[in-house]
Amino acid sequence: MEQDFLLLLPIFFPMAAGILTLALAKAKMGRKAKLTVVFGALVLELLFTILCLMRGDVSVTLWQLTDTIRISFHVDTISRIFAGLSVSVWLLVGCFAFSYMSHEEHEERFFGFYLIVEGALTALSFADNMVGFYVFFEVMTFTSLPLVLHEMTKPAIMAGLKYLFYSVAGAFMALFGIFFLAGYGAIGSFQAGGILDASATAGHEGLLLASAFMMIIGFGTKAGMFPMHGWLPTAHPEAPAPASAVLSGVITKMGVLAVIRVVYYVIGPDILRRTWVQTVWMILTLTTIFLGSMMAYKEKIMKKRLAYSTVSQVSYILFGLSLLHPAAFIGAIAHVIFHSLVKNTLFLGAGAIIYKTGKTKVAELRGIGKEMPVTIWCFTLVSITLVGIPPTSGFVSKWYLATGALSSGTGVFSWLGPVILLISALLTAGYLLPVTIHGFFPGADYDYGSLEKREPSALMTVPMILMTMGAVALGMFPGVILNAASAAAELLF
Amino acid sequence: MNQLLLVAPVLLPIAGGILMLMIPEKEARVHPIFTELIVLASSAMIWAVLFTGREQGNGAVLFSMAGNLKVFFRMDGMGAVFSGLVSVLWPLATLYAFEYMEGDRRGREFFAFYTMTYGVTLGIALSGNLVTLYLFYELLTLVTFPLVLHDRTKEAIRASRKYLYYSIGGAAFAFIGLVFVLIYGSTADFTLGGVLNKGVPGFDTNVILFMYVLAFFGFGVKAALFPVHSWLPSVSVAPTPVTALLHAVAVVKSGAFAILRLTYFSYGADFLKGTWAHYVVLGAVLVTIVYGSTMAVKEVHFKRRLAYSTISNLSYVLLGAVMMSAAGMAAALSHLVFHAFMKICSFFCAGAVMHQAGRNYVYELDGIGKKMPVTLACFTIAGLSLTGIPLFAGFISKWNIAQAAVGLGGIPGFLAAGVLLYSALMTGIYMMTVVVRAYFPKEGYDETALDGVKEPGWRMLTPIVIFAAVILFFGLYSRPLFHFLQQTAGGSGI
Repeated sequence: MEQDFLLLLPIFFPMAAGILTLALAKAKMGRKAKLTVVFGALVLELLFTILCLMRGDVSVTLWQLTDTIRISFHVDTISRIFAGLSVSVWLLVGCFAFSYMSHEEHEERFFGFYLIVEGALTALSFADNMVGFYVFFEVMTFTSLPLVLHEMTKPAIMAGLKYLFYSVAGAFMALFGIFFLAGYGAIGSFQAGGILDASATAGHEGLLLASAFMMIIGFGTKAGMFPMHGWLPTAHPEAPAPASAVLSGVITKMGVLAVIRVVYYVIGPDILRRTWVQTVWMILTLTTIFLGSMMAYKEKIMKKRLAYSTVSQVSYILFGLSLLHPAAFIGAIAHVIFHSLVKNTLFLGAGAIIYKTGKTKVAELRGIGKEMPVTIWCFTLVSITLVGIPPTSGFVSKWYLATGALSSGTGVFSWLGPVILLISALLTAGYLLPVTIHGFFPGADYDYGSLEKREPSALMTVPMILMTMGAVALGMFPGVILNAASAAAELLF
Repeated sequence: MNQLLLVAPVLLPIAGGILMLMIPEKEARVHPIFTELIVLASSAMIWAVLFTGREQGNGAVLFSMAGNLKVFFRMDGMGAVFSGLVSVLWPLATLYAFEYMEGDRRGREFFAFYTMTYGVTLGIALSGNLVTLYLFYELLTLVTFPLVLHDRTKEAIRASRKYLYYSIGGAAFAFIGLVFVLIYGSTADFTLGGVLNKGVPGFDTNVILFMYVLAFFGFGVKAALFPVHSWLPSVSVAPTPVTALLHAVAVVKSGAFAILRLTYFSYGADFLKGTWAHYVVLGAVLVTIVYGSTMAVKEVHFKRRLAYSTISNLSYVLLGAVMMSAAGMAAALSHLVFHAFMKICSFFCAGAVMHQAGRNYVYELDGIGKKMPVTLACFTIAGLSLTGIPLFAGFISKWNIAQAAVGLGGIPGFLAAGVLLYSALMTGIYMMTVVVRAYFPKEGYDETALDGVKEPGWRMLTPIVIFAAVILFFGLYSRPLFHFLQQTAGGSGI
């Protein structure tokens, strides 16, 4: 196979830049100069990644770790979607963070690890086999940990440890599956439709399904799937807002990517169809969707509410994947992108509010729309998107998810799924829209005299506006994404 | 003359240690130089054998006691691995000890016995038959006993007594197993595949299996097998160079090494595989892994936590061993080597923290990472590696063990892989809590309390950094070593 070493650039460049940023902590440079370095790295990384994504299906082998384990990378459609998403979001949220992090300490440490994680994410998107994927999955866990720990308060430390232990536990459950499937060829290069050696697995179906299940649950931990979701509502809100945004918006998606690779590119959807694994998986995702929305509805603290919303929304994606049906698969992929844009904007909005007013509870946000109109307008538009009201993008992905479910032939789940999606959409409206309503319409008894202009700087608003535009516009022009997703789906089914 | 290269590295440190006791106490400056020279000379001889290939495979008989009771040295693949390992660790650990033990009243005794232990450990590594192994195994207890006793505190005296009773008791059980090999085996020399001869009159499979189990637990004492492990956390009262090198590597690995010899070279893996004895020892090993790593999470004393971690990791080695397959043996040897570097590195870091900051408990380590960045960075590497995070050596050996477990198949294989991962999670918890604490102290910790704490001197820091580098190196590039281990396990090795 032809080696294309250019692929290594978007993986190792941000890591190197991150280490450099960490080293700058002691350097006597102005804040501006340091941030320029970070900004330059983020922009270059975006360019490098786009350059790689345009080169067609290329691959490169980095290193033969052991006789059977190869660290190698390959670009396919799924890689393009995930890598493109993560580097774009990374740049935008990075810009927001330039302004936001000015009220936090240890900025070099934050941006250093922020860049290193970006490299790990690109590596995950490009990974070509299960063990290589696993390697960078662990790298991502450990390098994103300092982002959660950043504020070093007692709750932040506890949340960081919880994040770490859940993630490691999940990764090891996945590794358990890898151990057992390695003998059946599961550590070879990913291929649409699965790579297991059918003659070797014959007679070992029980073991195969158990391993698949362990891998789904294990990698599902990062995606916040019940029963391993517990870390998410604790850890995401404790991080500084830009970190919460990317943790919820992008890093959870790497759990989704892992499940896609396991189910569709290693084991193969046909093996899992109509087995207990699929049934249990559907039950778990539907439970997560419902529970997450309920918890978000009940939650009073803004960022925690958004974190519960993530739990629920990422399981929309996983539910779509669990149906093992082309339309649902397309819906899931589309929802990866839409939810990422939406959730990043929501968290950035919450961050902007904290940055400007210090308010963390939903109840405190009365009249906020009068003070920060741009922020709350963005917040409102992406809320509507998340609820799934046409013509926003959330409608498109949910449409595909629902039609996929109805035609998936999964018995009771084919109608139960859409019903739960609908209930969850109502709950989503219930937990997001009050912010808008009370923000813009504080009521007659509100003291309008105390209002002051608190709109954050352009560094904060522009990323939010761009992502909001993306989330809304992609609903009207979803062609690009749907075409890419159906191209991937065509190979799989 | 030819055989000298095999005998000398064993005898030189023992003689040197005795000689050291004769150097007057007041010549304290001479002790380190003398010690390091002897240790380096022995290591050089081992390396000469390893790299030139001379004398490999040849035997060297020191003396014969009676009939086939020979004291006999030979370097085969396994011996090469173990002797090569300790010959790298010892000079560095000695260097560390110089700084750590500086100003200690009983420094001379310490270095005398420390050096003697080197010779004895090499004796175990190079022994060519079970009798020699047993001889040096007993000697190992005796020469390390004064090292545990070193501080002469009440705790140290109690710990050393416990150590002595456990070890001697264990050796007695091992001896029974040895006698049966001598009676029912065709030779006492180590032969891959085992030496049992079913033609000997009176050969009763169940009795032999029972003897194997006895010997397994006998040697298992030094390998800290549950339920005969409890001496190991106690002896962590000894000075750190002892805990690090002896109670994380030399002594405990001698136990594991002896079990590997017993299993693969005396009784024979094929004979044991699938018998009740196999499942008994497998069960004990699994229980030990779970027990050790769970206790490590509970333990808040820094060094004792690492000692519990040793208990569970030693049983990883044994887990590989009891897979009763070539893959299992190679995996066991790979973990034997990698764990040595990981654990000695983490112990040395713990010792450096104790030495520089006087902090003994995990909850006292807040913010230490800022004051001792290099030490804690190396500790992080060791911790990640012990957890089995890829790109570090620990991942490779755990992968190997897991693959061997999968090869065993069935419920035992499933259980083994499960236990391995449970323990890995526990390892993550007990190592990473230390790291997070050190780098991310909770707000409101007393920053001034650590004023004046700084990195240790070069003699302590050099070994730590080298070990951490080795962990990274093997994490990325372990193929040649693993090929060698596979050869050794497959019998085609030298």
